[in-house]
Amino acid sequence: MSKLQIITKGILKDNPTFVLILGMCPTLGVTSSAINGMGMGVATMVVLIMSNMVISLIKGIVPDKVRIPAFIVVIASFVTIIEMLMKAYVPSLYASLGVFIPLIVVNCIILGRAEAFASKNSIFDSALDGVGIGLGFTLSLTAIGAVREMLGAGSIFGYSFASDVMPLLFILAPGGFLVLGYLMVLFNKIAKR
Amino acid sequence: MKSSLLNMVLVLFGITAVAAFLVGVVNNITKDTIAQTEQKNKDLAKLEVLPAFEGEAELRDTVRRIGDFEINVTTVKANGVLVGYAVEAPSITRNGYADRINLMVGFVEKNDTTIINGIKVLKQSETPGLGANMTKEGNSLERSAVGKEPKTLAFAVSKEGGSFDALTGSTISSRAYANAVETAYAGYLWAKGELPSAEDAMSGATKPNEEQTTNVEPEAQKGEQNNE
Repeated sequence: MSKLQIITKGILKDNPTFVLILGMCPTLGVTSSAINGMGMGVATMVVLIMSNMVISLIKGIVPDKVRIPAFIVVIASFVTIIEMLMKAYVPSLYASLGVFIPLIVVNCIILGRAEAFASKNSIFDSALDGVGIGLGFTLSLTAIGAVREMLGAGSIFGYSFASDVMPLLFILAPGGFLVLGYLMVLFNKIAKR
Repeated sequence: MKSSLLNMVLVLFGITAVAAFLVGVVNNITKDTIAQTEQKNKDLAKLEVLPAFEGEAELRDTVRRIGDFEINVTTVKANGVLVGYAVEAPSITRNGYADRINLMVGFVEKNDTTIINGIKVLKQSETPGLGANMTKEGNSLERSAVGKEPKTLAFAVSKEGGSFDALTGSTISSRAYANAVETAYAGYLWAKGELPSAEDAMSGATKPNEEQTTNVEPEAQKGEQNNE
């Protein structure tokens, strides 16, 4: 597999949201607007790249039977450290992304990639896998968020283009399921060609 | 790598020890900066809810405790002239959808009347796109209170007979917001000494006595119809 393929497969063939169907909880929870979806995606991508690299680094010394708890400790520590550093040194970024950071600990994409990719591949490839899956997750969440925001609030990235009388359903949880389902169908139909 | 009891225990212990050490180190490095940033944001919010003024600001805090809650009234003066009061207050009898809401409310006095000059949301964890819209400038809740005389306001959402136009789809968050504004007003009246007995404004939900802790009755709020 070429280096470029490792990145592109995360966006198309192994898209975490529409193909692997991982990380549904944050997907449905935060995509009420495009900017929220993008924020969650970017925050996840950063953690994913770092945790993939560390797990690839320690894969040789972790016994098989305890690898899952070991990976969870690594991921949770990473998330906590990133949260504290952001809070202290980039408070403006923390103000917009901060609510998503603790959610990443329980994001099964991170653990899934640690288990399926990083524990079997080199550090560099694992980092590329983090970039690819992270980009795929970010793009998917931004797309879901954009559709929900357009239909439910009549705006896109906060810029309003329609009146207040929009079907609020799309901002609420049921709308999240509807949009996710239809986008999943659309994505797989196009990707199959 | 093959597992044996010894290497499993050693590796897990090693990883948790390293992780705990790193988290501890980072916490030690960052905690002062984090506390400073939070304090700075609060001080900025205090000035933001009050009208612009010339000269150096002089802040004086009066803290009042109600049970576990704290109302912080800051008297802001510039060159010896009173600018107004910035009151930091939580929603006491009403929870938001997820958690309590903390507001900074600015009161100014003009021609014997008190006017709410500005409101800033300090802390909220409401649903993004719904209740979290309370942080947007010029939202319906802010418009319902800013520029009004607090004594003419009824601190409930409009469909329950109050003066606050609820955010679309977020009645619960809006109730908490109205309650936090009410708490802030009570704090302001205390600071002015116009409220010897807290019951007048908070209908028994709170007591002015600092030593006395009061259990807050969620439904004991004035001017609210119990229709849930």
